[in-house]
Amino acid sequence: MTATLDPPSAFGADIRGEVAISVRDLYKHFPIREGALQRVAGNIRAVDGVSFDIRRGETVGLVGESGCGKTTLGRCVSGLIDPTRGGVYFDLAARDQERLDSILAVPEPDRTEEMQRQLEQLDSDHRVDRLGKQKWLRYRRNCQVVFQDAFASLNPRHHVREIVGRPLKVHKEAFSAQLTERVVELLERVGMGRQHLYRYPHQFSGGQQQRLSIARALALDPELIVLDEPTSALDVSVQAQILNLLNELQQELHLTYLFITHDLSVIRHMADRVVVMYLGKVSEAGSTGDIFDDARHPYTHALLRASPDVDDDPGTAMVTLEGSVPDPALPPQGCRFHTRCPVATPACGWEVDDVVRWLEDEPGMFDALTDVTRRNAFTADLIFSDESSAAALATALGSEKMPLAARQALVDMKLEPTRVHIAFQPVSPVELTVRGPGHVAACVLDRMPELD
Amino acid sequence: MAVEPAVREPAVAFAGGLGIRLRRFGEISREVLRNPTTLIGLILIVGMIGMAVFAPLLIEPNTPNPNQMPRDWGALNEPPGTPGHVLGTTQQGGDVLYGVIWGARTSLRLSLIVVSLTVVIGLIVGSLAGFLGGRLDELLMRLVDVFLSIPELIFALAIAAVLGPSFGNIILALAAVFWVKYARIIRGQVIHIKQNEYVDAARVIGDSGFRIYMKDVLPNSITPVIVQATLDMGNVVLIGATLSFIGLAEAGLAEWGVLVSQGQAGISAGRWWASTFPGLMVFLWALAFNLVGDGLRDILDPRTESRR
Amino acid sequence: MAHAPEPAGQTHAADAVASVVGLKVHFESRAGRVHAVDGVNFDIRDGETLGLVGETGCGKTVTARSFLRLVPMPPGIHAGGSLYFHPHQRCSHCLGAGCAVCEGTGRLPVTCSACGGEGCRACGETGVKTIDLSTLPEKELRDIRGNRIAMIFQDPAKALNPAMTVRNQIAEVFYQHRTQEVLERARLGTRPNPLLRRHAAQRSRLIERALLALPPLRMQRKRVERVIDDMVASALAETQIPNPSKVMERYPHELSGGMKQRVMIAQALACNPDLLIADEPTTALDVTVQARIIELIKELQSRHKSAVLYISHDLSLVRRICNRVAVMYAGRIVEIGLTEEIFANPLHPYTRGLLAAIPGRSHDRGQLVAIKGTVLELIDPPPSCRFVERCSYAVAVCAEVDPELEDTHDGHGVACFIHNPPDMAVELPSFSKLTS
Repeated sequence: MTATLDPPSAFGADIRGEVAISVRDLYKHFPIREGALQRVAGNIRAVDGVSFDIRRGETVGLVGESGCGKTTLGRCVSGLIDPTRGGVYFDLAARDQERLDSILAVPEPDRTEEMQRQLEQLDSDHRVDRLGKQKWLRYRRNCQVVFQDAFASLNPRHHVREIVGRPLKVHKEAFSAQLTERVVELLERVGMGRQHLYRYPHQFSGGQQQRLSIARALALDPELIVLDEPTSALDVSVQAQILNLLNELQQELHLTYLFITHDLSVIRHMADRVVVMYLGKVSEAGSTGDIFDDARHPYTHALLRASPDVDDDPGTAMVTLEGSVPDPALPPQGCRFHTRCPVATPACGWEVDDVVRWLEDEPGMFDALTDVTRRNAFTADLIFSDESSAAALATALGSEKMPLAARQALVDMKLEPTRVHIAFQPVSPVELTVRGPGHVAACVLDRMPELD
Repeated sequence: MAVEPAVREPAVAFAGGLGIRLRRFGEISREVLRNPTTLIGLILIVGMIGMAVFAPLLIEPNTPNPNQMPRDWGALNEPPGTPGHVLGTTQQGGDVLYGVIWGARTSLRLSLIVVSLTVVIGLIVGSLAGFLGGRLDELLMRLVDVFLSIPELIFALAIAAVLGPSFGNIILALAAVFWVKYARIIRGQVIHIKQNEYVDAARVIGDSGFRIYMKDVLPNSITPVIVQATLDMGNVVLIGATLSFIGLAEAGLAEWGVLVSQGQAGISAGRWWASTFPGLMVFLWALAFNLVGDGLRDILDPRTESRR
Repeated sequence: MAHAPEPAGQTHAADAVASVVGLKVHFESRAGRVHAVDGVNFDIRDGETLGLVGETGCGKTVTARSFLRLVPMPPGIHAGGSLYFHPHQRCSHCLGAGCAVCEGTGRLPVTCSACGGEGCRACGETGVKTIDLSTLPEKELRDIRGNRIAMIFQDPAKALNPAMTVRNQIAEVFYQHRTQEVLERARLGTRPNPLLRRHAAQRSRLIERALLALPPLRMQRKRVERVIDDMVASALAETQIPNPSKVMERYPHELSGGMKQRVMIAQALACNPDLLIADEPTTALDVTVQARIIELIKELQSRHKSAVLYISHDLSLVRRICNRVAVMYAGRIVEIGLTEEIFANPLHPYTRGLLAAIPGRSHDRGQLVAIKGTVLELIDPPPSCRFVERCSYAVAVCAEVDPELEDTHDGHGVACFIHNPPDMAVELPSFSKLTS
C-alpha cells in the first residue's frame, strides 16, 4: 500500500509537485549467520515494506528511534546499500510514475509480459540499484549525503581542498586552478573561507567539520541531499547555525532534503512532511502540522510526549511506555507497536509471542517452560515441566496480569495437566489508512482516546 | 572576491600543499628528537647504512668479488691491533674489519630486498582479501593460516636447505616466510578502515573502488605496515645470519652470520675477535631497527596525529 | 556598592549537602595550560536536583568528576578551591529503612566533631561534619565513593564491566560499604570468623578462598552469598526491573540500553547515598527510554531524598527534572537560580542565546538565533568577560573586566555587568543596547 502524500511544498512554486524520489515497497533484511558453516538462521528485518515519495524542493523528515530502520532506509535511498526487495526510483516523470504504480499494484504472477518489459525499462532507467554506469554516475551527481559524524566522514589525511574538491575531480568537472576557485566558492557558501583550504579535519571544530561535509555535498550541484542525523552530535548553539545554513542553502539552491533524525524538535523546525518509522515500517506519515497537532498513532503520541520541548508546559507528565520492543528478526504479525501501546485493543494482533515474552519476566515460570509448539503465530501449546506452572499460567491468562485487550483477544484456552493450549484471534497486518489529505497512519483506532 | 591570476594558481596550490607536508615532516622530526631511544636507534641506523653505502670508500674492495672475504695467507689469525688489520684476521686470513664493513652492505641488500618483496606481496594479498571480502577473503586467509602455522625459522631453514646453500636462496626463503605477516596486518587494517564513514562518503561521491582504495583505505592503513617493516629490517638480518651460521650460505661470503660461524672454532683457543665483532654488528643492527620501529609506532599513532 | 558582593548560590547553609567553593581544575597540554574549570561556586542542597548545564567544553563534566576525584591528574591539576561535603550517616532508629526521625530518608546529618554542633571554622560555621573532598586521603575517599556519593555515567555500556554479571557488579558495592550489615544479616553473630569477614569485604587472599570452600565455612559463606543476592535483588527491584533474579545472572551485553542504565542506577543507589551525580545519563538512550529513566530518577530521588547533581547539555530536559539550574560557560558558572525563574527570565546573554537556539515551536524556519562565534580556547584566558566576543550587548568594560557571579534577587545569580554593574564610572551594557 503506497503512502502517497500530497505537498504543500514551501519552496519553488515552479518545481512544486514533481517527484524526486519514489520509494516503493522497500525491504532490507540482514541475514543472521550462525554456526561454523555460517548458515542463515534468520533475518533482521531492518526495513520491512516502506513506500513514500519525496517531492522536489521539500524537506521530508524521517523520524524514529534506534532500530526503526531510518538509517538503513536512508542508505538505500542514497544508494550506499542495495535493497533486498522493492526499489528506490529517481527522477520519474509523472506519467512514468503512474505507470510504475499501476504495474506494481498488480501482484507479480499476474503481470503480463508487456508489464514486465515496461517495468524492466523503468528499472534500468530509474531504479537506483539497477542503474547502468552512466545513469549511476548521474545519480551520484544528484544525490549526496551528509553524515552524522562529520569528523568520521572526512579523510583525516586529506586537506580541505582535496576533500571538498574531490567530487569535482571524480566527475572531471574542474582541475587545478579552476578547482581551487570552485572549492573556495563552496567554502564561502557554507560560511568558511580561502584560509581553510590547506587545513586538515582535526584542526576544525565539530560545527566547521559539518560545514565542510556540507560543502562537499554541494560540490556537484545536487538536487537531493540525504542528511543522516547531521546535527545530533553538535551543541545546541552550533546546531542552530547549521540548521540556519541548511535552510538558506535550500532556498538558494532549490534543494530537496531527506532529513533523518530522532530529534522531534529539529524535525518540527525543518521538515515539511514527516514519516515516522517503527520497527521497519511506517507507522504514521503526513505534513508537519498533521503529525505534531493531530497525531493519530499512539507511537507518535508517545514520541511527542517524551520529547522535551522548551515551550511545553513542564507540568505535562511525560508519557512513558511500558513493555519491551519485539525482536526485529521476528516482528509481530499484527501491529508492531502493540507490545508497548497504552491503548491497545483486542484487534491489534495479540499472539503467542506476547505470552512467551510475559513468561520471560515472571520469576520461576519461564524456567518451567520446556517447549512451545506453534501452529501459527496465534495458536500454540505451551508445555511446562510441572503442573503448578501450567496452572499458574492458565490463571494468569484470565487475570489482571495480562492486559485486558490481550485477554479479550484470547479466543481459546485449554489447560491439560502440564500443557496450556492458547489461541488468539488472528489478524492481518495493520495497513496504513488515510486520515486526511496526505495523512496516513497504521492503527486500528481512528484516533488516540484521551488519556487522563 | 579577489581573483588570483590563473598562472600563479598551480604554483600556489603546490606550494600550499608542499608547505603542509613539510610542516608535518617537521612535526614528526621533532617527535623523533624528543624520544631518546628512538634517536639512538636512528643514529645507529644512519651509521650502519652509511657504512654499507660507502663501503668501497672505507676499505679497499676485494677482487674479483668484493662480497667475498679477502684472503691474506700471510696473516692468519692475527689478533686485533696488528698493523693493517685493526680488528684482526680470521682463520683464512680475512680482515675482520673488511667483514664488518662489507657485511653491512650484504645485510642492507638482504633486508631491503626481502622487506620490499614481502611488503608488496603481503599488501596485494591482504588488500584483496580485506577489500573484496567474501570467498576470496576466506581462501586467502586459510592460506595465510597454513603459512603462519609453521615457525619462521624452521620454514626458512627448510626452504633454503631444499634450494641449496646460496645467498639468493636465503632471500627467497625469508621472503616466503615473512610475507604472511603483512597480509594479515593489512587485511585487518583494511577491514577496519573500510567501515569508516569517509569511505562511504567517497562512494557517495561516485569514486571507483580502486581509487577509494588508493586514496582512502591504503594511506590510513599503512602505518602498522611501516612499523612492522622497520622492525623486520632488523629481524631479517637476524634470521639471515642464523641461516648462514648454520651453513646455508656460501662459505667465504662477507656476511656477518658466516663470519660468526667460521670464527666459532677459534673461540676455545682464545681467538675471540673473528666471531665477536660480526656478532656484535648483528646485534646492533637488529637493536637499531627495533628502537626506531618502536619509536615510529608511538609517533605515527593516529591519536598523536590528531591532537589539535 | 560598598560591600563585597555575596557570591550567588553560595550559602554554605546547614541544609547544603555539598558546597563547591572557588574550584579550579586546569590541564597541562602541549599548547599551554587549559583552564577547564576556573572558579566555580555553588551549593547543592539536601534533597534538591541541581542541573549543571552547558555545551561542550564548558567544564561541567570536569566539575562533576572532581567530586569523586575521577579527573586524571596528570594532566589535570587541582589549581585551587575546595569541594566541601557534609556526609550523613545511617539513621540508627530505623537502620536505613526510613522512619519519622529521619523523615523517611534513612539518613541523618552528622554533627561536627570539632565544635559539637556550635559552628566552627572546620565545618564552615554549619555545625555539621564537613570534609574537603579535594584534600581527603584516597583511602577515606574510597569509603565515600559508591557509598555517600554515587555517580552514574553517560554510556551504560562503557560504565558496566562486561566481564561481570549484574549481580557481581552491584554486589561489589555491598561488599565494600555494607560489610557489617551483610555479616549481621547472615546471622554470623557478633564475632564472625575473620576469614568470613574478609570475604564479605572482598579482601580474601587466594588461600583464604580455598579454605572457604571447606565444609564448615562453606555453609556460612553461602549464607553470606544469599544475603547479598537478596540485597542485590531489592536494589534492582527498586528500579522497576522486571524479574530481578533473572536479570541478576545476566551480563551487561545481554541487556538493552535502558536496562543497563537501570542497573547502573541500582548500583548507585544501593547504599542510599547523600548525593547522586548523574553525568548525562540519558544522552545515549532513545527518547522513549529516556523518558522512563528520567521518571525513574525523579521517583527514586523523592523516595530517598538524596540530592542529585544532573549534568546535561539539554536545557529542555533539565527543565523537567531539576529544581535549580546552573548554566556554565568557559569554565565558570554564568547564571544560577530556580529552574522556572531561569526559563521565564534568563538574565545572562549566553542563557538567552541558548534558549533562543532551541528549535522550539515559536521559531520560523531559518530564524533560529545562533550565537555567533565559537567557544574561546581556555588557554590563559584574557581578563575580560569570557563571553565578550560572542555577546550582542558587550561594551568596553566587558572587554577589560571579568564579572563575578553575584546574586540579583532571591538566589538568582548571574555573572554579567548588565545586572551587576561594576563599581566604576563607565558605560554600562544593557539589553536595550544592541552593540553587534
